[in-house]
Amino acid sequence: MTDRERYAPGPASGARIRKDGEKWTLVLRRELRHPPEKVWQALTDPAHLREWAPFEADGSLGAVGNTVKLTTVATPAPHVTETTVTRAEAPELLEYKWGDHDMRWELEGFGGGTRLTLWTNIGRQFIAMGAAGWHICFDVLDRLLCGAPIGRIVGGEAMKFGWQRLRAEYAKQFGSGQSQ
Amino acid sequence: MKIKVTSIHVEDQEKALRFYTEVLGFVKKGDFSQGPFRWLTVAPAEEPDGIELQLALNDNPAAKAYQQAIFQQGQPAVMFNTDDVKGDYERTKALGAEFTMPPTSVTGATIAMLKDTCGNLIQLTQLAGW
Repeated sequence: MTDRERYAPGPASGARIRKDGEKWTLVLRRELRHPPEKVWQALTDPAHLREWAPFEADGSLGAVGNTVKLTTVATPAPHVTETTVTRAEAPELLEYKWGDHDMRWELEGFGGGTRLTLWTNIGRQFIAMGAAGWHICFDVLDRLLCGAPIGRIVGGEAMKFGWQRLRAEYAKQFGSGQSQ
Repeated sequence: MKIKVTSIHVEDQEKALRFYTEVLGFVKKGDFSQGPFRWLTVAPAEEPDGIELQLALNDNPAAKAYQQAIFQQGQPAVMFNTDDVKGDYERTKALGAEFTMPPTSVTGATIAMLKDTCGNLIQLTQLAGW
């Protein structure tokens, strides 16, 4: 069995949700055993993003003002949006939009590793789905940073790797309001 | 091969979902998201397991230009068949639907045209019996 075939996500953890007016935000935190500089590269460099992120970028997200096309991967109809990076303070803070979702990444160094936090707004009925998807993406990111990439797991592919279980666990953690 | 789903571009998916379900009386079929992408389909209540209509967010400038142009020409983006165009006209009008053409006899059919509130004209067609 390959490392990819052996992969199974752990229990749902590290996520919370927040409501500001009508807008819901999913907040995800993950501790990585790698320094912020290395994590920053994985968040901004198209070649690294391709290994773990749910979108393709046609340019670097690492500098303010960069305009980058983001192609959501494995959607049933093509989905391409353009974004302009609004904050890029390497290796600590990164902000841009993915479609109509605000993406705010914070990297905080601790004991040689990085505490990575993502704030992203998302419809209430999709929050548990989003949390489950990012959970798997962050696992894959961790493998990539360890030098043992297992390949991106997004879209329908995630169903083969415990996405439904994670979604149910996150839905339970976030409480009522889930439509599915 | 089968036609299982066909698509229409809409300016706002939530607004479109309200119009197609609450005014036209369709039912929601598929609804899932992947990041900012949302796959959303509805089907007519009369034929819930028939062909689905995807309400696709129109964030494509080329599609937007096309949508606006045919809207301004008064051309429908999609046509639905009905057995009672006058009844549908009265029912949806009472629910706030805005018609650009009331039920009108044309060759072989009676048609009506209404706005879907999301950038499209919809034609309702009742074929004349022959």
